[in-house]
Amino acid sequence: MGRPTTVIPLGKRLLPSVVAITLLLPLLFAATAPAADLSLSSKTYGLAYERETAGGQKDRYVPLYEYLSADAANLGGKPLSFHFYGWGRVDLGENSGSDSTSGEVGSIYLEYLHPEGNAQGKLGRFFLTEGAAMEIIDGAFVKATTPGGLGVSLYGGIPVEYSILDTTSPGDSLFGGRVFFVRPGFVEIGASYLKENGSFQDGKDRELVGGDLWLRVAPSVELTGQATYNRSVSEMASQRYAVRIVPGATFDISAGYESYTYKGLFQPALNPAFVSPSVNPDDEVRTIFGIVDWAFTPGWTLEVAGKILRHDKSDPGDANRGEVGVRYTYNDKKDVAGFSAAFVAADQAVNEYQEYRGFASYSPSKLRMTLDALTQRYKEAPIPGNGEKNQYQVVATAGYQLLASLQLSGNLTYTQSPNFQEDWAGLIRVNYDFATSTGGKK
Amino acid sequence: MMRRAYAVNILGAALLALLFGCSSATQTPSVPPKHPEDLPAGRVDCLECHKDVSTGALKPYANFRHSGVFIRSHGTYARQGQNLCSSCHKPEFCQTCHAGKEELKPDTKMGDRPDRMAPHRGDYLVTHRIDGRLDPGSCYRCHGNKSDSRCKQCHK
Repeated sequence: MGRPTTVIPLGKRLLPSVVAITLLLPLLFAATAPAADLSLSSKTYGLAYERETAGGQKDRYVPLYEYLSADAANLGGKPLSFHFYGWGRVDLGENSGSDSTSGEVGSIYLEYLHPEGNAQGKLGRFFLTEGAAMEIIDGAFVKATTPGGLGVSLYGGIPVEYSILDTTSPGDSLFGGRVFFVRPGFVEIGASYLKENGSFQDGKDRELVGGDLWLRVAPSVELTGQATYNRSVSEMASQRYAVRIVPGATFDISAGYESYTYKGLFQPALNPAFVSPSVNPDDEVRTIFGIVDWAFTPGWTLEVAGKILRHDKSDPGDANRGEVGVRYTYNDKKDVAGFSAAFVAADQAVNEYQEYRGFASYSPSKLRMTLDALTQRYKEAPIPGNGEKNQYQVVATAGYQLLASLQLSGNLTYTQSPNFQEDWAGLIRVNYDFATSTGGKK
Repeated sequence: MMRRAYAVNILGAALLALLFGCSSATQTPSVPPKHPEDLPAGRVDCLECHKDVSTGALKPYANFRHSGVFIRSHGTYARQGQNLCSSCHKPEFCQTCHAGKEELKPDTKMGDRPDRMAPHRGDYLVTHRIDGRLDPGSCYRCHGNKSDSRCKQCHK
C-alpha cells in the first residue's frame, strides 16, 4: 500500500509565491517610477514557556513568530499605494497549535486615493469597516462623494473567515454598500446593506441592513447612532446610541445605550463559542454606559467608566461594571505610569470579580524598561476542584535601541492563577523598521 | 439573465465613473495617505496642531483626540470612513486586534507598551468565561465571523 497522498489546497500552495511577488511589486514600481515612499516593518518574537499536561508530563514550547508589514505610497508619483501585512509561526519545540507551523496574510492590497473629495478604491485583501460591515475580504472596494455631500460606497468579494467548526464553512461571497450624506462639521448619515452568501444557522444567508448617524448638535456636543437589522432572522441585531461632550482638549465625556439580541447578532457566527447552546438565542442584552476622560492637571489623567448590563434571561443574569484609573505621563510623553481598579458586581456570584493593575515605564536614552502588575480576584473559585480564587501576573520588560531602525527587547512574565500554579514565560522581540523616500514628498 | 447582469455591471461602472468625476470636481482635498510629520509617542491630541473640521472624516478634530472615550468608541468613527485612521495607522495596527486568525494576544505582542489599552491581560483564560457570559457581544466584535484559531484549542 502506497503512502497516502497529501492534498494541499491550491491557495496554500500558491500563498508563498503570491506573497513574494506582491512584496516585490512596489519595488518594481519604485525602480521605474520617479517617486515612491517605502516602509518595511519586521517584528520577530521568540517565545518560551512550559505546560504540564494530564499525567504530569511537562511540554516545552518555543514558537517563533514573524510579523511582516510593507507599505509603499506615492507609487510612480501617483496617489497609489500598496499594503501588506502577514505573520507566520514555526515551532522549535512542541507544537503550540494544531500544527508546527501556522500563519496568515492579513492584508495585501492596492489602494487609490483621489487627490480630492476622498474618493478611493481598494483591490486585494483588506480589513473593511463601512456601515454594517466589519469584514476582511478578498475583493474590491470603491467610495466616492459628490461636491453636494452625497456619496456611495460599494464592495464585493470573498469573505476571509476561519471557521473553527469542521462542520461549518465560511461564506462563499460577500457584497454590499453604503449610501450617505455628509455636511462637513455638522452631520453624516448613512444607510448600508450587506449580504453574505453561505450556509449559516438554519441554512440562511447573512443579510444585514444598517443605519449610522453622526450629528453635531452644539459646538462641543455630538450624537452618534448605529443600528443593524438582521433580515435573515428578522431581528434587530444591535443598536448603539451615545451623546459625547468634548468641550476642549482636557475633558471628554460620553454616555449612551447599547443593545443586541443573541439571535440577531450571532446568527451568522462561525465561532462555536457564540453558537447555541453556549448562548441562549432568545436572550437580549441591554447596556447603559458612561465614560469620563479628564486631564485634570498637565500630565495627569483621570478615567472613570461604568456599565449596567441587563439580560432578559436570569442565566447569566444582570451585572454592573465600574472602572477607575489614573495615569501620569512624563519624560516628554515617552513614559507613562498608571493605576486602575475595576469591579464587576452580578446577580450570580460566579460572575463577580475585581481587578487591580499598576504599570510604569522608564526610558532613559536608548534603554527602555517597563513593569506591569495585575491581579484579578474572583468571588468564587472559577475552576471546579481548584480552590484558587485569585490570579497574579507581573510582566517586566527591557529593551535597547541598537540602531535607529533596530530595537531588541525582552519580556519576562510570571503568572499565578487557577490555571497555572506558577508559570514563567519569556519572550525576545526584535523590531526592525525601515522607511525611505525616493522622491515623493514626506 | 446574462444580458441583465451585463446591464447592471455597465450601470454600476457608469455610476462609479460619475462619482469619481464628481469627486474630481469638488474643492475638498483628500486626507493625505500618511501624516506628514512623525507623531509623539502616547495618546495623540490632534488639537495641538489642528483646528476646525478634519479633512476626510469631515468631523471636528477634537473628536479624534485619543482619549479613553475615543478609543472605546473608535468603531463608530471607523464605520463612517477609515481614511483618517489610515493616514497614521497601517493595516497591521488595526489587525493586531481585528485579525482573521491570530495566536499571540495583543498584550503579549506589546508587553513593552503597558500604556496601550491592549485587551486580555493576565491569565485571560479564566476571566474570559465571565466576560463572555455577561457581554458576549463585546467578544463578538473581534472573534465573531473572524474567529481565531486560538479558540479551537478548547471550543471544538
